[in-house]
Amino acid sequence: MEPSKIRNFSIIAHIDHGKTTLSDRLLQTTGTIAKREMQEQLLDSMDLERERGITIKAHPVTMNYRAKDGLDYELNLIDTPGHVDFAYEVSRSLSACEGALLIIDAAQGVEAQTVANLHLAMKQNLTIIPVINKIDLPHANVELAKQQLEDILAIPSELAILASAKEGIGIEEILEAIVARIPAPVPTGAPTMQALCFDSYFDAYKGVVTHVRVFNGEIRAGMQIKLLHFGKTYEIKEVGSFNPKPYVRDVLTVGETGYMTANIKSPKETKIGDTITDARNPSPVLPGFKEIHPMVFSGIYPINASDYEHLKVNMEKLKLNDSAFIYSAESSVALGFGFRCGFLGLLHMEIVQERLRREYNMDIIATYPSVVYRVFLTDGTEKEVDNPAHLPEATYIEKIEEPIVKAFIICPNENIGDMMSLISEKRGTFDHTETLDTRRVMLTSLMPLNEILIDFHDRIKSITRGFGSMDYEHSGHQESEMVRLDMLVNAEPMDAFSCIVHRSKAEGRGRALAAKLKEVIPRQQFAVAIQGAIGGKIIARETIGSLRKDVTAKCYGGDVSRKRKLLEKQKEGKKRMKSFGSINIPQEAFIEVLKTST
Amino acid sequence: MVAISNEPLRSLYVHVPFCAHKCEYCAFYSAPPSGDIVNRYIAALVREFELVAHDLKPRTIFFGGGTPSMLNMRQWELILTELDRFNLLGAAEWTVECNPATVSADKAKLLRDFGVNRISMGVQSLDERLLERLGRIHSRAQVFKSYDILRAAGFDNVNIDLMFAIPTQTMEIWRATLAEAASLDSEHLSCYEVIYEEDTPLYAQLKAGEFDVDEDLACAMYDELTAFAGERNYQQYEVANFAKHKGTAASDIPDRACRHNVNYWRGGSYHGVGPSATGYVRGVRTKNWANTQIYCEQLEKGVRAIESREELPPRRRAGETAAFGLRMNSGWPYADFREATGFDLRTEWPREMDSLIARGWAQETQNQFKLSERGLRFADSAAEMFL
Repeated sequence: MEPSKIRNFSIIAHIDHGKTTLSDRLLQTTGTIAKREMQEQLLDSMDLERERGITIKAHPVTMNYRAKDGLDYELNLIDTPGHVDFAYEVSRSLSACEGALLIIDAAQGVEAQTVANLHLAMKQNLTIIPVINKIDLPHANVELAKQQLEDILAIPSELAILASAKEGIGIEEILEAIVARIPAPVPTGAPTMQALCFDSYFDAYKGVVTHVRVFNGEIRAGMQIKLLHFGKTYEIKEVGSFNPKPYVRDVLTVGETGYMTANIKSPKETKIGDTITDARNPSPVLPGFKEIHPMVFSGIYPINASDYEHLKVNMEKLKLNDSAFIYSAESSVALGFGFRCGFLGLLHMEIVQERLRREYNMDIIATYPSVVYRVFLTDGTEKEVDNPAHLPEATYIEKIEEPIVKAFIICPNENIGDMMSLISEKRGTFDHTETLDTRRVMLTSLMPLNEILIDFHDRIKSITRGFGSMDYEHSGHQESEMVRLDMLVNAEPMDAFSCIVHRSKAEGRGRALAAKLKEVIPRQQFAVAIQGAIGGKIIARETIGSLRKDVTAKCYGGDVSRKRKLLEKQKEGKKRMKSFGSINIPQEAFIEVLKTST
Repeated sequence: MVAISNEPLRSLYVHVPFCAHKCEYCAFYSAPPSGDIVNRYIAALVREFELVAHDLKPRTIFFGGGTPSMLNMRQWELILTELDRFNLLGAAEWTVECNPATVSADKAKLLRDFGVNRISMGVQSLDERLLERLGRIHSRAQVFKSYDILRAAGFDNVNIDLMFAIPTQTMEIWRATLAEAASLDSEHLSCYEVIYEEDTPLYAQLKAGEFDVDEDLACAMYDELTAFAGERNYQQYEVANFAKHKGTAASDIPDRACRHNVNYWRGGSYHGVGPSATGYVRGVRTKNWANTQIYCEQLEKGVRAIESREELPPRRRAGETAAFGLRMNSGWPYADFREATGFDLRTEWPREMDSLIARGWAQETQNQFKLSERGLRFADSAAEMFL
């Protein structure tokens, strides 16, 4: 197709503002898919995605549209994961586009995620088409939404298209605007073929299926290509597009979007953002490539030790379709053999854990999550630490920097006070407030990433009774007084509970953990001290009184055999306990605490 | 290894599986009698007596339950006459368990006349509210009345069963019960902490969170018990058992200790008859069907109603014997242990014994090995080491 007839665009929106319904409606209106084939929320194919209203994997869809000018256009909708955890993936998907639809719910107005995603789109210099959706709702307030567009997003309100994806209102207008306002792709002018890999998935028969956007030249089966960042050459086996199911095409020409296969065995080889080019005569790399690095780490352990191998196999499988997820074997005294896992962010971590549980039926437990700290040592070197066990002793540390995010929190006016206290409790520094409308404000603040890992989102929801929303973008690092908190039983550290926390938070967390451990660790024949310690300094303590007896009150002839078996079983049980010095603790106790505190 | 003796066994346990009402804590096999099942049971029991009689010359007999005292005069008369016919009377210690609600003067006299010489009364508590809580069918008053009836019938060896750490029981209530029980001046006290056995209503209530176990209070009650028993000249001879002794304290086992139970703890043999009864005969443990219907059907066919058998290898059997014997204050005189098992305690378990002594849980003399006062409170942990 002529580049002038191609439009590549994406849709950005807050959860539930109607992105998926609008996508489906575009597919239907362009005849890409017949109405009877429509299944609700077509593009989100994973159960988890539907349940949570988010898109985890991006799918590019190609639509053919005859515009009012009588010409046929190829519209490529490039869906994005839409969450800050996947900001890099989003930026690569966006860079495959020339424009984006920005959806605002007419009843809800601008939300935190709308802001964060718009920032990403603007960084890619995309043409924004604002769409005020759900105008059919009785409590829709179009005027207010327009005002927020101008005030918060600095977008002229007259550009907004009023729509209801559900009712089919404004769909033609949107399609026309895509054709009229979004620029056609322009070849880069590189000497040879240039294409962007912006996502991939694994197919058991074809190997890695790479999502591509052609920036220069064309790609077709049989071509010898090179992935510049990975540095290997391949022969293209197949090219095609999605409608939304994949279909084979002879060629993808400049400006077009689709997929290619090339007998690529491992998703590791197709780095998101990599440049695909002619193997013999390569063009330069496309801008914007970054190696992706996990931001959040946590240990994942099988609850039954015997599931370890099974878990390993399933993690390998999971990684085939999620190249951002990384893992390596680790072991813990308390939890046995498991894996240290790296995730792009909180949501990504939850998704991986949830998928292991649901899709792979694994019974797992996760340890307290950690962010990646930059540790500057007294010898002048620097190291990144994502595991409390690897934090050097305090005397070797010059300073520690922790990752910071810029958080956008939208909440009703009456909750401002509580929200400010929450931000300050979470060590955030408040930056500024913007009034969204008569009811709501948006607070912008800088927060340590490690503080929003645990319950920040839940706390916002509970303070605002569900009306608040939060999103964030990464915002560099800042020096902080971070310390390693260790939990000890009779002076022996329990590795599963060590964590890196801010000094001001160490005591509170130490106390809370000690209290929980006290509840679950069985009494021993001697008193047991549970302590929270920073280095040699004890900052929290609980004592488990000694077991005062262990004797069956009543035992006569009839019981002997039964009783003996019971004692034998107990003896076996003690052998399976985890030993910390002379203390035996069942693994279930650790799991119990991890379940309630992370 | 002791040679297997062909001598007749000296202990007999008889299980009577009927109760008017099942107590909240009870996991023993019993059910309310219905229809003709009691008579059918007695006929079957008599068949079982017949099958084991050739191998019995009882020194101790114990009728437990259930509620043996629930059987009526005619039924008892039948059982006792049959025992006489099989030449099983004349035990030096013959105990029958009684519920205070089912004791009558006639019954007491009948039992006494046939040679029953010890009564074990299931009192459990002398607090009216707790008796109800436990689902007991008797009142405080019935305890005192039955006790007098038994004494009047000539029973000079009576045990009173008591429970402590009952949900809602306070230390004051426990002290009052102990004091009142001691004032009856029975020869023997069995006092045990409530055990939450699975498949009992009490266990279900605990799991449902209706109450909490106060372990510290339970320990304090046990301390109170041992101190109190000492003051009233009841000598402790097992974790939960206390008995009178004539003259100064016995070095070993007090006079009024229950010889039948001592035989259990010391790994002695016995025949067990009746539904759910266990036996230990020449190294083989057996268990009868815990179902009166099946029990009767089997015996009506002329075979014993044994559901399962277990025979441990000699070394493990000896370990089990060591473990259970340590529940007694006198522990194991080395000679007795060797006679009972064929093994020498000191050469088989030297490390375990040293470790217990090092913890302050046990003492060793030239002739015996026994748990200390503290060790008795951890008798299960100690027992495990020998298994």
